[in-house]
Amino acid sequence: MEKFGRDEWVAQIEGRRKARGPWLRLAEQWQRVPLGLRFALFIILAAAVPLATDNDYVIRVAGNFVLYSILALGLNLVVGYAGLLDLGYVAFYGLGGYAYAYLSSDFSGLHWPTWASIPLVMFLTALVGLLLGSTSLRLLGDYLAIVTLGFGQIFVQLTNNMTRISLPGRAEPVDLTGGPNGIVNIDPISFLGFSASTVTHYYYLLLALLALILIVVYHLNNSRVGRAWRSLREDELAAEAMGMPTRWLKLLAFAIGAGIAGLSGSVFAAWQGNVFPNNFDVTLLILLYTMVILGGMGSLPGVVMGAFILSVMPEVLREVELSRYLFYGGMLFVLATMIRPWPRLVLVLVGVLVGGYLLKLAVMALWPTLVTTPEVASSFLGRALQAWLIIPPQATLIGNLAFVVVVPSLLFLSRTRYTIVRLIALIPTLYLLAFVWETRLAVEPSITRLLLLGVLLVVLMIYRPQGLLGQRRVEII
Amino acid sequence: MALLELSNVHKHFGGLLVVHSLFLTVQPGEIVSLIGPNGAGKTTVFNLITGLYAPDQGDIRFDDSSLLGLEPHQITQRGIGRTFQTLRLFLNMSVLENVMAAAYGRTCANLAQIIFRTPGFRHEEAHIRALAEEKLAFFGERLQGYRFDQPAYSLSYANRRRLEIARAMITEPKLLLLDEPSAGMNPNETQEITHLIGQLRDQKGYAILLIEHDMNVIAGISDRVIALDYGLKIAEGSYHDVVTNEQVIEAYLGRKHEIRSR
Repeated sequence: MEKFGRDEWVAQIEGRRKARGPWLRLAEQWQRVPLGLRFALFIILAAAVPLATDNDYVIRVAGNFVLYSILALGLNLVVGYAGLLDLGYVAFYGLGGYAYAYLSSDFSGLHWPTWASIPLVMFLTALVGLLLGSTSLRLLGDYLAIVTLGFGQIFVQLTNNMTRISLPGRAEPVDLTGGPNGIVNIDPISFLGFSASTVTHYYYLLLALLALILIVVYHLNNSRVGRAWRSLREDELAAEAMGMPTRWLKLLAFAIGAGIAGLSGSVFAAWQGNVFPNNFDVTLLILLYTMVILGGMGSLPGVVMGAFILSVMPEVLREVELSRYLFYGGMLFVLATMIRPWPRLVLVLVGVLVGGYLLKLAVMALWPTLVTTPEVASSFLGRALQAWLIIPPQATLIGNLAFVVVVPSLLFLSRTRYTIVRLIALIPTLYLLAFVWETRLAVEPSITRLLLLGVLLVVLMIYRPQGLLGQRRVEII
Repeated sequence: MALLELSNVHKHFGGLLVVHSLFLTVQPGEIVSLIGPNGAGKTTVFNLITGLYAPDQGDIRFDDSSLLGLEPHQITQRGIGRTFQTLRLFLNMSVLENVMAAAYGRTCANLAQIIFRTPGFRHEEAHIRALAEEKLAFFGERLQGYRFDQPAYSLSYANRRRLEIARAMITEPKLLLLDEPSAGMNPNETQEITHLIGQLRDQKGYAILLIEHDMNVIAGISDRVIALDYGLKIAEGSYHDVVTNEQVIEAYLGRKHEIRSR
């Protein structure tokens, strides 16, 4: 038996806290699986996607997820490890896409082989990363963010407008980027006689790249360079004073991040077959940052998970039925975690179900005109909802009103201190929530999915600021 | 032949002269203490030596070559390690990583070696890990075993000070600059750190330049004491000579007749 001091007892608080919940215990078990095995499992599972389905749409969504993962990993290296707030990251992605398009399309007349063009593109973007990095060496924190953000904007503006550039030695102005029309008909990626033509080809190509980059980033992180990057993030002055060449390390992080972005840019260009300026605008930047932050900055599985959630979930939410399951399932999950002990939960659920059913019966008996009878839904959940929920004739209008009522009642629920009041008020609120969902949100999935994502992010950032799999970081204690 | 030699060093910030014509030497294996009231310019001297500031005038020589114009990390790699008055640990990294990170200047694996995990890289990695554990072992049981993988922010104040010293030790310094190593420590811990600084010199052979306010620490280990006031060296010599020096007493307490006049 080891000696067990007070110090150690204090030190293990985190472990003991973790050992409580079943989810956390499961996560703990998962952590015990050797890293290589976890990695292999993930890759095998991802590689099985095209085998499980021949629906091109599904594979395309999965491919997008892998592409975003690669991009987010590159961003994580710059932001999560080296701590440089690089808001021009997407410009490197765009630069990679445009450079590849330029080297392999009719636009320039060049048709370089892939084995030559992609390394050149990576080198080029890394070089530009180095240049941008070097102008930013004297800038710290927010100032660096502003300069790099400007760089990202300049890139989009240039690609949009460099259509009539007078070059020395040319009589006519030259179109360098194709403007808003972009560059089209880009050659597919091909090497060793193989030419990637289907979505599945690109999916496997991207997956192989993801595996490679995961390994590279993991190895980098657990080396002198990775430790130096993180030291830099923690305390630049101390890092410099401990013998780390901080300037060089910053430039290196910028260049490697840019190289990864350039690589994924070229694959993107080849896959999509064309590039347009608005493929690389600030929306994508925000999406990538959200992935990194949601998953947990600095955690590789976290970043991949963030990319998965933010690329797959909006697609899932497009389907009314699927999003319905997600919505009610999510609501149930939240209730189950918030209400304890469980008899109370049962009470609330029964209250909502029976109350709603009785309400519907009463309204149907007293004012039959207030209830419409829609077509019978195909799924069980749909039919159950129809029996339970009142759908009035002016569903949109009343749904809007209910939406306005729901927000303050949710706020009231979160502020009230009396358990009984909260439990009782919860019942009509839940009914109202379901009503709003069915009349307003499920009808317009394009808006709803963004709204839901927003809510998810707000809730997550409040309860887990370090992201899903991130380590909690302290600033100064 | 002095290990460190500051000759006629000046430094001013705007109109404020912080270090005024400072001459200072540290011999190999010597423990020199720098004392003085708050704002006397002690930490500035450290920042000048480590290259965080450049002197306006004068020369700083270490190991017979000038340090002027070198980057701080180059100076560290020449053999000057330091700790900070306000602790500057890499708080969100583990204890072991804090120390291993500071071995950067002693390692040379390049990117290709790192990415492919060549045997050379693995060997180097194992080596600095062992080295880091050895440095931490210097502080006894406290920074051992389960502590290795704990984040630095979970450490107590005294342990953080110890970790900072360990971190400075792995840069393999010939000269160690300690900026108030006993600040925030209780009397027991202060006594221990005094003992430890002695050991650093005796066992590891470092020369030590020390900033300290605790006179017990200074009395216990200093070979020589230098007193600064308003950037000027007002006294130098043995502990006894300096603390009985009129000017030093005046700098700390004020002039005698001023007290009488009240």
